[in-house]
Amino acid sequence: MDQHETDWVTLLAGNDRRGAVPGTRKSPPQDLLWKASLPEAVRSSPVLREDVLYVTCRDGCLYALDSRTGRQRWTFQAAAAIDSTPSLSGNLVLFGCDDGKVYAVEVTAGRLQWTAETGGPVWTSPAVQAGTVYCGSTSGTFAAIDRGTGLVRWRRQLGGRICSSAYVAGRLVYVGCSDGNIHALDTASGEDAWSYQTGEGVSASPAVAGSLVLAGSEDHVFYALDAESGRVTWSVVTDLGIASSAAVADGKVFFGGKDGHMYALSIIDGRQVWKSRSFRTITAPPLAGPSVVCIQTFYGTTQAFDLSTGEELWRAALGASLQSTPVLTNEAVYLASYPGVIYALR
Amino acid sequence: MNRRDFVYNVALGTLHLGLAATPFRQAGAPRQDLRIAMHAPDMPLSPLGMPGAFPGRVVEVFHAGAIADNRVSSSAMKTMIDAGMEGLTGNARPEQAWARFVSPSDVVAIKVNPSGTPQTTTSIALLREVIRALNTAGVPNSNIIVYDRNSNQLEVNGYHTLVPPGVRVVGLDQRWAVAGQTRGGYDPAVFCEMDCFGERETRSYLASVVTSEATKIINLPCLKEHNASGVTGCLKNLAYGSFNNVARTHVDPKTYTDPVIGVMCTATPLRSRSVLHIMDGIRAVYHSGPFAWNPEFVWDARTLLIGTDPVAVDRIELEIVEARRRELGVPSLWDRSLDGLGSNADMQRTAHKNPFYREPGHIRTAAALGLGTWELEAIDHRRIRLG
Repeated sequence: MDQHETDWVTLLAGNDRRGAVPGTRKSPPQDLLWKASLPEAVRSSPVLREDVLYVTCRDGCLYALDSRTGRQRWTFQAAAAIDSTPSLSGNLVLFGCDDGKVYAVEVTAGRLQWTAETGGPVWTSPAVQAGTVYCGSTSGTFAAIDRGTGLVRWRRQLGGRICSSAYVAGRLVYVGCSDGNIHALDTASGEDAWSYQTGEGVSASPAVAGSLVLAGSEDHVFYALDAESGRVTWSVVTDLGIASSAAVADGKVFFGGKDGHMYALSIIDGRQVWKSRSFRTITAPPLAGPSVVCIQTFYGTTQAFDLSTGEELWRAALGASLQSTPVLTNEAVYLASYPGVIYALR
Repeated sequence: MNRRDFVYNVALGTLHLGLAATPFRQAGAPRQDLRIAMHAPDMPLSPLGMPGAFPGRVVEVFHAGAIADNRVSSSAMKTMIDAGMEGLTGNARPEQAWARFVSPSDVVAIKVNPSGTPQTTTSIALLREVIRALNTAGVPNSNIIVYDRNSNQLEVNGYHTLVPPGVRVVGLDQRWAVAGQTRGGYDPAVFCEMDCFGERETRSYLASVVTSEATKIINLPCLKEHNASGVTGCLKNLAYGSFNNVARTHVDPKTYTDPVIGVMCTATPLRSRSVLHIMDGIRAVYHSGPFAWNPEFVWDARTLLIGTDPVAVDRIELEIVEARRRELGVPSLWDRSLDGLGSNADMQRTAHKNPFYREPGHIRTAAALGLGTWELEAIDHRRIRLG
C-alpha cells in the first residue's frame, strides 16, 4: 500500500471537503432512495468509499452501511459516544471517541486494529500523512500516532480544547485551539513553528491552499495566514462567530457563518465573490466543487449554491447538522442529520 | 421521598397546597383547576438555597464597554462580575465573594440558557468568567458541569468547544459517561406530575445532574421576554431547563407557566442547590423570546443582574423589559386583549402580536411559594455604572 492510498490530510480528506468522492452533480435530488434511523444523535459527517457509507453515532457505534440499500454491512461498538467524523486511510477507518481514544478499525469487517490514548474526549477527525495519524482532543492534547501500530510518537499540550481537525501539509501540521490560537506544529517533534492568536476560540478546521492557511474564528473574523510564517495575509470580518470549516475550490474559499450566510472569498486577496443568505445559523463545513457548494444548516435545511455566483440551485428541508457535510455523487446525495437519521436521495 | 400537591385555580389565579378532585374533561381542553404533584426527596433546605444568602437584594451592573466590535468584551465582563459580586456580598476580593457560595470540594453545575442562537444566549464571555471565578475559589474544572436540556443548542453556541479543558458540558437529552459509567439525563425518582391539556405523558423528570451530581448550582439566565411566561429569567431557566417535558404547559393561547415554573423551583434539590444567579443582559430581548430570531427585538442593554433571590432578580428583569416596551410604544407583558393575539409569524413581525396570553405572574406565584421577594419596595436594588 503506497502513501498515496493512506494519506487523508484533513477533515473529509481534502480542501474541497468532498471526502475524496468525485462527482459533478449539480441537479437537485428528486426521490428518497433509502433512509436509516440510528439509535442516537449523529454529530459527524458520513464518508463514502465505493459502495459503503461509514457513519459514527453518539450511541458509540461506527456503522458501515450499504450505500445502495442502507442495510448494515457491519457495526463496531466503541466504549463511549462518538462525535468524530471518520477518516479513511488505506484499509483503516479512523475516528476519535469520548473515551479519549483514537480507534483504527479495519474497513471490510469492522475488526479493531488498535487504539491510542489522547487524554480526553476526541471530537476531531484524524488526519493522516506518511504513516502518521494526527489528532487533537478536548483535553488540549495533540498527538502524533503511528498509523501501523497505534503507538504515540509525540504529544503536545496546547492551551485549550482542540475541536479543530488538523491539516497536515509537508513538514507542518496546522490546527486551531479554543484559546484562540492557530498553531503550525512541526510534524516530527510537535514544537511550534509558529502560532497566531485570534480574538476567540478556533474550532473550525483550517484549509491549506498554496501558501495560505485559511480558517475562521469565533471572533467573527476569517483569516488567511502565511503558511510558513503565520503572518496575516488578509482577513475578513463577518457579523458573528465562525465554526464552519472552510472548503476550497476554483480559487475561492467557502464557509458558513453563525450569522446565517454562506461566504465565498477570493483566495488571493479575500475579496468577497458572493455572500448568500442561508437559514439562521451554520456551523458545519460546506463541500465545494467542481460546480456546486453544498451545506447543511443547524435548523435542518440542505442547500446547494452555484459555485461561481452563489445562486441557490436547490434546497431540501432535511438534514439538521452541527458538523455534518453532505456526500455528493453523480447518483445520490447522502445526508446525516443530527437526530440520527441518514438519508440517501437520488 | 416527599410528595406535595399544589392546586392552582385558573379562574382566581390562586395557588394553594392540598388535594383536588380530577374531573373528567376532553383531551386538549385546558384545566380550570390544575393539580400538580411534586415528588422530590425530603431533604432539609440549605441556608444558601433560594432565596439564598441575600434575600431581596439585586445588583444591576451596567458597563458602557460591554460590547466592543459587536462582541461581548471579556475584560468588561470580568470588571462587571467583580463589581457586582462586591455589590452583592460586600467582599472586595472576588475569591472571598465567591467563597461565600462554593467550596473547593463542591461539584458546581452551571445552568446556561442556549436557546436564542446565535445572539441572545448566555455569552461565552460570562460563562468563562464564572468558571475562572470558581477556579479562584478553589473549584477545579473537573468539578464543573455546564448543562441544559438540549445538546445541539449547547454546541451551536460553542459551549462544548470553547470552555476550558476539564469542564464537562452536558446536554440532558443525551447519555454521557462519568468515570466509565453511562448516565442518563433525568432522574426517574424525582418528578412533577400534572395534566395540563390532556397530554399523554403527564410527568416531567428532574435532571440527574441536579439530583445526584451537583452540590451547588450557579444559574446564568438571559434577560429576555418570553412569549408564554412573560419573561424567561432565573426561575424559568432553572425550572424549564432542568425538568423535561415542559413545552406541554403552553398551548396557544393558554399557558400554565404560572404556576408550574414556581412549583418546579420548589423541588428540594433544585431549590437547595441553586445558590447564585447572574443574569446576562448584555444583549436583551423585549419581544419574540426566547428565540428572538428577529434582531429588531434585541437591544444592547450592557447589563448584568446579580443576586441570590431569583424572584427579586426576575422582578427587576420584568421592570426592565416593561420599561423598554413602554419606551417603544408596544403593549405591556400583562396585556390580555384579544387584539394582541397572533400567530408565531405575526410575533416575528411585530411586537404588537403574541401567540399567548403571557403569564408574568409566575414570578409573584414563586414569591408566594417562599422562593423570594416580589414587592418592588422590598427589593434592595443596587445600581453600578462602569465604563
